[in-house]
Amino acid sequence: MLVLKALARGPMHGYDVAEHILAWSGDVLKVEEGALYPALHRLELRGLLASEWGVSANNRRAKYYRLTAAGRKQLAAESSDWARLSGAIARVMEA
Amino acid sequence: MRGLFTNLRLRWHALWKRRQLETDLEDELAFHLAMRDEKNREAGAAERAQRWFGNPELVKEDLRDQWTFRAIENFWRDLRYAARMLRRNPGFAAAAILSLALGIGANTTIFSLTMEFLFSQPSCRNPETLAEMRIGGHSDIDMAKYRFLRDAHIFEGLAGSNEEHKAEANWRFGSDTYRLQTMRVTENFFQVVGVPVAMGRAIEPRDGDVVVLSDRFWKARLAADPKVLGKSLIIDGRPFTVVGVLPHNHRTVLGFGFSPDLYIPASRESDIVALIARLPDGMSRQAAYARLVAACKQLDKVYPPDWGQNASWANGTEVVPVAGVERLRSLNILPFAAFFGMLMAVVGLVLLIACVNVSSLLLARASSRRQELAIRLAIGAGRGRIVRQLLAESLLLALVGTGAGLLLNVWLSGLMNRVQLPLPLPMQLLIQADWRLLLYSMAVAVGSALVAGLMPAIKATREGVSAALKLTERQVGQWPLRNALVVGQLAVSVVLLTTGFLFVRNMTRSMTMNPGFDAEHTAWAYMRLVPEKYTTAEQKQNLVRNALGELRALPGVEAASIACIVPLNDNWHSMNDIRTDISDQPIRVRFHTSCASPDYFRTMEIPILQGREFLPSDDKGAPDVVIINENMAHELFGNRNPLGHTFRYTSPTLSAPMTVVGVAKNSKYFTLGEENPLALYNPFNADAWMTNLHFLIRASRPCDVVKEIAQTLGRLDASASIEVKQMRDAMGLAFLPSRVGAALLGSMGLLGLALASIGLYGVLAYSVARRTREIGLRVALGADRAAVLRMVARKSFGLLGIGLAIGLGISMFVTKPLAMFLVPELSTSDPATFLTVVAVLGAVAFAATLGPALRALRVDPMVALRYE
Repeated sequence: MLVLKALARGPMHGYDVAEHILAWSGDVLKVEEGALYPALHRLELRGLLASEWGVSANNRRAKYYRLTAAGRKQLAAESSDWARLSGAIARVMEA
Repeated sequence: MRGLFTNLRLRWHALWKRRQLETDLEDELAFHLAMRDEKNREAGAAERAQRWFGNPELVKEDLRDQWTFRAIENFWRDLRYAARMLRRNPGFAAAAILSLALGIGANTTIFSLTMEFLFSQPSCRNPETLAEMRIGGHSDIDMAKYRFLRDAHIFEGLAGSNEEHKAEANWRFGSDTYRLQTMRVTENFFQVVGVPVAMGRAIEPRDGDVVVLSDRFWKARLAADPKVLGKSLIIDGRPFTVVGVLPHNHRTVLGFGFSPDLYIPASRESDIVALIARLPDGMSRQAAYARLVAACKQLDKVYPPDWGQNASWANGTEVVPVAGVERLRSLNILPFAAFFGMLMAVVGLVLLIACVNVSSLLLARASSRRQELAIRLAIGAGRGRIVRQLLAESLLLALVGTGAGLLLNVWLSGLMNRVQLPLPLPMQLLIQADWRLLLYSMAVAVGSALVAGLMPAIKATREGVSAALKLTERQVGQWPLRNALVVGQLAVSVVLLTTGFLFVRNMTRSMTMNPGFDAEHTAWAYMRLVPEKYTTAEQKQNLVRNALGELRALPGVEAASIACIVPLNDNWHSMNDIRTDISDQPIRVRFHTSCASPDYFRTMEIPILQGREFLPSDDKGAPDVVIINENMAHELFGNRNPLGHTFRYTSPTLSAPMTVVGVAKNSKYFTLGEENPLALYNPFNADAWMTNLHFLIRASRPCDVVKEIAQTLGRLDASASIEVKQMRDAMGLAFLPSRVGAALLGSMGLLGLALASIGLYGVLAYSVARRTREIGLRVALGADRAAVLRMVARKSFGLLGIGLAIGLGISMFVTKPLAMFLVPELSTSDPATFLTVVAVLGAVAFAATLGPALRALRVDPMVALRYE
């Protein structure tokens, strides 16, 4: 979901996705960055992401990912699920 | 769902751009690492990007798996490797494939036969909305009742057909008259059922005398005349115009390979038909049943049923699909189906033996491949991976074996399609390879690959790396697995052989069995009259009287008579409650009925034990007299002398009393397998409706008079069809079950024996050969050769003993239900059968042990020792 969220901002390559997630979470979600790639490829193979090769800001060959229509739908569905779940948990914790 | 599709599409593309995929993965990860390194440098951190990232090789492995069809690709690679291995061991491959081909060929052929015989679809449109119907417990009803039901319009269409005795017809061709099997159908039959026609058109409503030919008749009798349409055939004295020819793969609604010569309209008022209905779309059979019952109640009012009080056409109503298990059950031929079930079980065993053969071959080979496997295990191949690879090898064997087996299947099916059985109705099987066969053989192939390959593969990889790496294979315990295979194979082949041999003995027994009448010195003349030609009983009586008179006058003929039923060829069963003059209590008996003219018992040489034969004075008008057999006499009158006693039938109405004038010795009536049948004979009286006359003629050399009999009868009525056979040749139908059983099961038993012998020989010989070194050593140390031989033999015969014991135990048990296929004189626990089986397998085992053992003994002890 985080990957989809990051890509909702526009096409970017894997490194940028990692940076975004890291920045958003304030370095809390610092997992092995390598684990990001299997996730990206899995989403691509599920048709939620599309990819193309482009040239990065520093003139290197990089693979850019972007959300597909299916990906956008999935993101919307997952964020509403998440909102419900986290809301529920929050209510439980406050009670 | 769409996700899956995208997935497959992307992976499919990647499959063709393998190198591109590799560089892409490489580049993507390298890019990430480079970016991270750069950033870390800027931040002045000393950390290497790798620490953040984890192992890029592992990540790459993961990605690669996502993008490729790894399992399938590995499988493909395994198959190719297996093919290379098999090419390098042609002897092994040939033996394994031959074993499997024989096993699978036999198995799939019996499968095809079973499917064709029991589950074939009739040639029709939408069989799922067709249903056969029976009302009032009758399989056929007459035309008036048929028309009543048809005009009730309760279904989309209601047609009828008849293929029984009344559907025979005489075909006058040149100066000869032939009896043909016709299918008499209502004028709407072809439209309702939707029978496809190859040439011309079908029978249509308001057609007059038209005929549709079967492909068989058209080709065999009319030389496939291309201009046959519009020509006319003289059938029962009238010209019928040929309007169509059926396709060669026409299957009748009756099924079971029944193949009539012609279809003609059921135009006579005396015709009877079995009902078949086209249900409206979506109507369930329950709904159809309800409608039919309602219509039957209406029928009761117009045509009151004539079989007793409270009878109704609605009782015994059935609506049955035209194919499938339910139909078999309603036709009451499940014993028949059981026979095919047994055949399937038997060929299953044959296949099992073939698989075990391959199994032992694989085992033997696995032990010579131990080092290869050990090295692969040592350098890190997973055990599952190696098992899969070994299984790929057996799968390849199974696939090639199945291919060869299917060739065998096609050839055998062709043979079976051409077989002509001595049945009263013409039969032709149309076994064709179809999707069911394909599906079945795929299942068989995979199944046999697993059965044959799994055990050796697991065994080959079970021992650890260290044990397997040792260069030589030393005395390694008892090889229990291989012994178990030998024992199992022995046991299975004992079962097979017992079954096969039991049926062969059954055949010889029934061929030499005394049917209770003399079949060697009698001939049977079957004369079918054109029904319309004789309108009164007198005409027919005259014909019969003249015929008998002329037959008796022929030189060489000792006696001649006429009967309604020719024993072992036709059957007329009755069930009735009989009241005798010695008791008021009716006795329910089921008995064979026939009628016979004077001299019948003398002609057939059936002894009359008490009383007398029928006399000319027992003719119509005289008091009713009967002759009964011993069983019937005992059933009705106990130990009393039945002569002079009378009895009556109680249903449908109380009949006039019949006086017993004779007791005939028991004989066989319809099947050789029947046990203690009751039988009753009435005096023969020619009725107006009787069209089939069966003359029985006694002659010391019946073959000499066959021709004269045909000419004599032909002179009396040229329009009648006449077939004369020696009684001995006419017994084919009675011998058929035992012959078919013996042919099928005997050949399966032989095939099983051949396979088992090869396997047994291979395994025993191999295990003796493996002990060559040990034997050499023993001989070098001064062991007595005879003692060594005894030692080797003890082991082989130990296995043989265990296998035989298990096999015989199972056989005793599983052959019990076979009794229903055997003549009563033959017991399933017939000791001769078991002894023969034991002797045959013993001989094989003896040969398999002795040969290699002698060879081992002849080896120079020094050679064996030096090898150590």
